[in-house]
Amino acid sequence: MLRRKTAAIGLGGIGLLIFVAVAAPWIAPYEPAAQDLSNVLAPPAWDGGDWSYPLGTDALGRDVLSRMIYGARSSVLISACAMLIGATLGLLTGLVAGFFGRFVDTLIMRLGDIQLALPFILIAIVILGMMTERSPVHLIVVLGIPAWIVYARVVRARTLAEREQDYVRAAETIGARPLRRIFRYVLPQVRSVLPAIALIDLSHLVVMESTLSFLGFGLTSPHVSWGQILADGRQNMVVAPWLPVLPGIAIMLTVLCINLAVEGMRSRVEPRRRWWSTRWRRSGATRTTLDMATAASRPAVDELQAGPTPDDVLLDVRGLCVDFPTADGRVVQAVRGVSFTVGRGKILGIVGESGSGKSVTSYALLRLLSAPGRVSAGTAMFDGIDLLGVPERSMRRVRGRRIGMIFQNPVGSLNPVLTVGYQIVEAIRTNRDVDRDAAVELAEKVFRDVGFGDPPHIMKQYPFRLSGGQNQRVMIAMTMAIEPELLLADEPTTALDVTTQAQVLDQLRRVRDEHGTSIVIISHDIGLIGEIADEVVVMYAGEVCESGPTEQVLREPRHPYTQALLESVPRPEAGVTTELRSIPGELPDPTRESGGCPFALRCSSVMDLCHTHRPKPLTVGPAWSAACHLYSEDKAEVTQR
Amino acid sequence: MLLYTIRRTAQMLVVVLCVVTLVFLLLRIAAGDPARLMNAPDAPDDVIEATRERLGLDEPIYIQYLYFLRDLLGGDLGQSFQGSYSVAQVVFAALPNTAMLAAVTVLVSTVIALALGIGAALTRGSWLDRSVQVYVAFAQSIPSFWLAVVLVLVFAVQLGWLPAVDFTGPSSFVLPVATMAVALTPILIRTIRQSFIETLQQDYIRAARARGIAQRKILLVHTLKVASLPLVTLIGLQSGMILAGSYVVENIFNWPGIGKLAVDALTSRNFPMVQGAVLIAAVTFVLVNFVVDMLYTTLDPRIRLKGAS
Ligand code: SF4
Repeated sequence: MLRRKTAAIGLGGIGLLIFVAVAAPWIAPYEPAAQDLSNVLAPPAWDGGDWSYPLGTDALGRDVLSRMIYGARSSVLISACAMLIGATLGLLTGLVAGFFGRFVDTLIMRLGDIQLALPFILIAIVILGMMTERSPVHLIVVLGIPAWIVYARVVRARTLAEREQDYVRAAETIGARPLRRIFRYVLPQVRSVLPAIALIDLSHLVVMESTLSFLGFGLTSPHVSWGQILADGRQNMVVAPWLPVLPGIAIMLTVLCINLAVEGMRSRVEPRRRWWSTRWRRSGATRTTLDMATAASRPAVDELQAGPTPDDVLLDVRGLCVDFPTADGRVVQAVRGVSFTVGRGKILGIVGESGSGKSVTSYALLRLLSAPGRVSAGTAMFDGIDLLGVPERSMRRVRGRRIGMIFQNPVGSLNPVLTVGYQIVEAIRTNRDVDRDAAVELAEKVFRDVGFGDPPHIMKQYPFRLSGGQNQRVMIAMTMAIEPELLLADEPTTALDVTTQAQVLDQLRRVRDEHGTSIVIISHDIGLIGEIADEVVVMYAGEVCESGPTEQVLREPRHPYTQALLESVPRPEAGVTTELRSIPGELPDPTRESGGCPFALRCSSVMDLCHTHRPKPLTVGPAWSAACHLYSEDKAEVTQR
Repeated sequence: MLLYTIRRTAQMLVVVLCVVTLVFLLLRIAAGDPARLMNAPDAPDDVIEATRERLGLDEPIYIQYLYFLRDLLGGDLGQSFQGSYSVAQVVFAALPNTAMLAAVTVLVSTVIALALGIGAALTRGSWLDRSVQVYVAFAQSIPSFWLAVVLVLVFAVQLGWLPAVDFTGPSSFVLPVATMAVALTPILIRTIRQSFIETLQQDYIRAARARGIAQRKILLVHTLKVASLPLVTLIGLQSGMILAGSYVVENIFNWPGIGKLAVDALTSRNFPMVQGAVLIAAVTFVLVNFVVDMLYTTLDPRIRLKGAS
């Protein structure tokens, strides 16, 4: 909305200027060169001057208003024509380069590169400066031509892309003529980007033209230009300060209007957003309303989990909800009332397809959600600490030190311009009270533990010089050095090849066995979870559909989604190399509440009830629950609720 | 890296040769006959003919070009038309003044741009961010020559706080640097803000936060080190604008640099001096860009180490 307004103001200003330029001979009260020597340096009307010269007169008694109006005419004429010349030239060369490719393209683009490597402005000044007489045509040519390359690059890129398109090839076979072909298909493509480029070019040209005039290398009289008026006025600026000020304001407003128009065209609304802490500060009021809003539609936390957290539980997550407001005002509910616990020294696997909310859950626990994501409800108690409620200051002492995290993209988890050694030493010193030497020693020790033969060498490397597996080992080594009580591992092996995957899993197991670290491992691969996790949580569309001891859940899955997931896994040990059977159907729209079971669209056991009533987590065995109507004893009771 | 250095050096030399050639050709096309320029407008033909012969202008153009290159390699930029002193001497005496002005401008602008750009990036949508955006919009609309004149009018003429013209010590830097910084900072601020915002969204920043690294350290080490890299390239690209700006600013503030020299020479149609001044400015521009490119590659280990393994 705001953007529209700025664009309108900008375009309006440009329109006004063009009107003044075109209508100059009719609206200017005097000829620009007409002198009134009895009225030299008359002040403007608001400064005690005479209304016959509203903006006063200059040192030769010429009417400043008329000169300003004619100056606008020169400015518009020269800038617009120069822009058109540059644009036309660029459009043609760009089309030719993109369309013919090969050496034509190379030649044109190299020429452009060389031109950009030259300070062309200086050369333009010199060329014009050496001329004795300068008409608008001279300025248009000298200023206009150098801009071709800016247009040519854009047009070339689009033409190249367009040439690959099928329909151009189709037209080729029908035998359309080359030139028509280019114009027909490429012009509509570049129409969206060229206006902004042209406008920016235009604003440069306005400034260039007036700068040249100011230096005395622009239009020669009898032509008038703003830069000239300013330069003339400068001689008398002590007695007539308005003289140099007026043309400057005119130039500035012109450029400002053009920039506003450009800005309006770009128009990507940036939401108000603070990078650091504020989005975590949940005010009590918002929280309550959200809780009330969710109470009706979201699944209630299983009664089994109500009450205080038992001592052997390290992390207790209850009813976690994460929302992502979208730009158009809707809300994506990425996580909808997720509950689970992690025992001390245990490995919990969270499994689900991409988009099931499993990664978001882990980010939410460390309060590392990217904006505009926010936790809208739920609690997460970690060893007596309310992870979602404590101030950011205390949270920083939990991150790294007490809860470590490793990510799906190991190379991207380390800063590319800092060495691995710097980063691990920094992490150790942030989280443990040791001096530099001790930190380096510790780093080398854990690097050896994760299997690096030459730790000092690895320390000197930048992350991009190491393989994905090596990077992930660096991340695991950091965890070993810091010894947090809990490690969140988000798809730690997905980006790695099979052998490296096995190594990394092995090391994660060692972290647990040797350091007693509890681990939450998140993966889309239920087979991997089966290998490592003690307990498993199966997530679908932001909700938990089944959770229980890994062995039992994998052996006799209760929830139809878990069953489908297990069937989709290829089982080489069974001697069958089945194709990965993807589950038919789609995920429900995350911005809408369905009211029924989220899996209903894809479930093979779906019942009428499933579409209308949301299944609650039901106990299906010891520490084992599934959210599916198949297991509710009294279906009639469900419908009555 | 070594390969890149060699390629980049070769490219730089080609561009320098192009610059030299272009200046040679354009000046001859734009200026007409130098022999006529050197003499009074009403000089008789035989005087002009004699001048022409003395300067080797009767030779074909490519021979002249070769002479020109030979002299250039020997550091000879010719003799000034007015008074007979060496152009090279005058030009090289003026160059440090322009360089000093440009260096102070770049330094001041970078510091301001970093502060404002980072401030705006961290508080997106806040009053600070919006004020910075308004500053950027206005600053990039203000013509330098006008700002310079207004600054002189206000601070030198009306208030008398600062020297308007002449080089009298550190306070002489204030107005020229302010003028040029207003022209340079908008694009720097935009770039820094954008690149900071983008860097903050990278996985490794989230990972650093997950490791408990302090906010200050994440901003000043992890983010800044990546986010300030585009600034280096940008300053190189802007050096052309800075040079052009020095034409304006040096003339208004009477700064004895290359820009003033060039404009004075153009006004008095002192052909060898124009050629010398523009040649030095253009070659400096190419060299600055070369240095900036090489600097960038050493600053960014991703490029520095590419292909070294
Ligand atoms: S509740 Fe119904 S639709 Fe949902 S998983 Fe169970 S049977 Fe399928």
